[in-house]
Amino acid sequence: MSRVRAVTGAVWPPVVTFGVLLVLWELVVKVFDLKPYFLTPPTKILGEFTDNFSRIWQSARLSGTNALIGLVMGVILGVAVAFLVRRFRILDELLSPLATMLNAIPIVVLVSIFSLMFALTSSAPRRLTVTLGVFFIVLVNVAKGLTQVNPTHLELMRSYAASDSEIMRKVRIPNAVAYLFTALKVAAPLSVITAFVAEYFGGSQDGLGSRIASNMANSKNATAWAYVLGACLLGLAFYAISILMEYVATPGGARNRRR
Amino acid sequence: MSAVSISSLRQVFNPGKPNQVDALLDIDLTIEPGEFISLIGPSGCGKSTLLRAIADLITPTAGRVTINGKPAHQARLDQDYGMAFQQAGLFEWRSVAQNIELPLELKGWDKTRRRARALEMLELVQLRDFADHRPWELSGGMQQRVAIARALAAHPSLLLMDEPFGALDEMTREHMQAELLRICAAARTTVVFVTHSIPEAVYLSNRVVVMSPRPGRITDIVEVDLGATRTDDTRQDEGFFRRITQVREALRRIEATAAPGGPLAVRGVEDR
Repeated sequence: MSRVRAVTGAVWPPVVTFGVLLVLWELVVKVFDLKPYFLTPPTKILGEFTDNFSRIWQSARLSGTNALIGLVMGVILGVAVAFLVRRFRILDELLSPLATMLNAIPIVVLVSIFSLMFALTSSAPRRLTVTLGVFFIVLVNVAKGLTQVNPTHLELMRSYAASDSEIMRKVRIPNAVAYLFTALKVAAPLSVITAFVAEYFGGSQDGLGSRIASNMANSKNATAWAYVLGACLLGLAFYAISILMEYVATPGGARNRRR
Repeated sequence: MSAVSISSLRQVFNPGKPNQVDALLDIDLTIEPGEFISLIGPSGCGKSTLLRAIADLITPTAGRVTINGKPAHQARLDQDYGMAFQQAGLFEWRSVAQNIELPLELKGWDKTRRRARALEMLELVQLRDFADHRPWELSGGMQQRVAIARALAAHPSLLLMDEPFGALDEMTREHMQAELLRICAAARTTVVFVTHSIPEAVYLSNRVVVMSPRPGRITDIVEVDLGATRTDDTRQDEGFFRRITQVREALRRIEATAAPGGPLAVRGVEDR
């Protein structure tokens, strides 16, 4: 049970700090009598959040679905290309600079381009944008995991007269799994952020990102903040799930794997 | 039939290029079954290269290596030897027992037979209770014992070790040396052992092979007749110190010929 204690021990300091910050925030607004459009007090945001919960939940589902589909496609594509690149050196030379270039293009531009390609209310541009962002992170990390193998492991396998495919199955792939989860922990919250940002550039107006923008535009700051809170929670949920998956898939987790 | 036979072995890296390295020259060595041989010499003398040539991890430029009468290449394909390195090199994603099972897996053994052998090997290195632990839960010395168990899992007649105790503290190291002798005596294993440490070489070996730096050559072979059973008392034995002095002098002679400035301490060889 010491593990449980270790987890709670790691959890309460940030929680307390966050709580203190919220109280300070509230106090500052009250004491200096700040106007709500300048700084909205947390109690008001929380009120808006509970009042609008079902609508926020609807929007979160919409944005979350886009993020999730993009994330899954990005991971599949990233892993697949990582294997191809590892298998065929020539592809590495052809694709790596291209992937780097792609990654250097701002998301904003990508969404605009994709928006032109699809119907106005289609979710495809957003999902594609998320896919591309995730793809790059996964490709780079998994390719690294397949290549950067402990040299002692390789020498051992050679001393066992292991074939290339055995080395792939028993050394490279298990090694790359840890790298995949490292990528996933970065890519999962990123997929949510990308999905929000993509909503600022056309498409249907039901997602969290669109709601934040439209409420801000209508000076409904407290409502906008409530949607921001929903966005935070969605991002956190994605991150938490990726950590949980890592914990289940790799016993002991990354903590012990990558010293 | 000798366990290992090396004749006129020569190893040149990057031949004909500006960064050409003559690693080994005119190596002749015959190792009898059950013998414990240490390779010692200054850093860069090619002792690890020689070990890798025996293991067929590199292809010699010239000369021949045979193991139990077979070419080294065939011996590798047949998994006739086990190998251990300075880094234990355990696979983090496998349990301790699964690590030991790996060479058996590659030999196509079925699961029950593998597991039984892994447990038997863990018994031998006295880590039976750690079968289902993960490698990182073990201390450095314990990990190295697992690596030795893995190297011996397929019951090879030959064990090749490249400074396996180099990263361990002195106490653990002495304990591991005694353990290794016990294990190898029980299995009648032939051992080729690369080390930097003179006392380690003397304590473990029947013969200590002293090598000169680039190009690596065998300059001396010191016979160590301390008897078959060596204990902690051996380390206090007068004969033990005499052999240490003998190996040290052999190493000094190399240094004297290599650097005419005078006998300096041979770099990369430890007196401890």
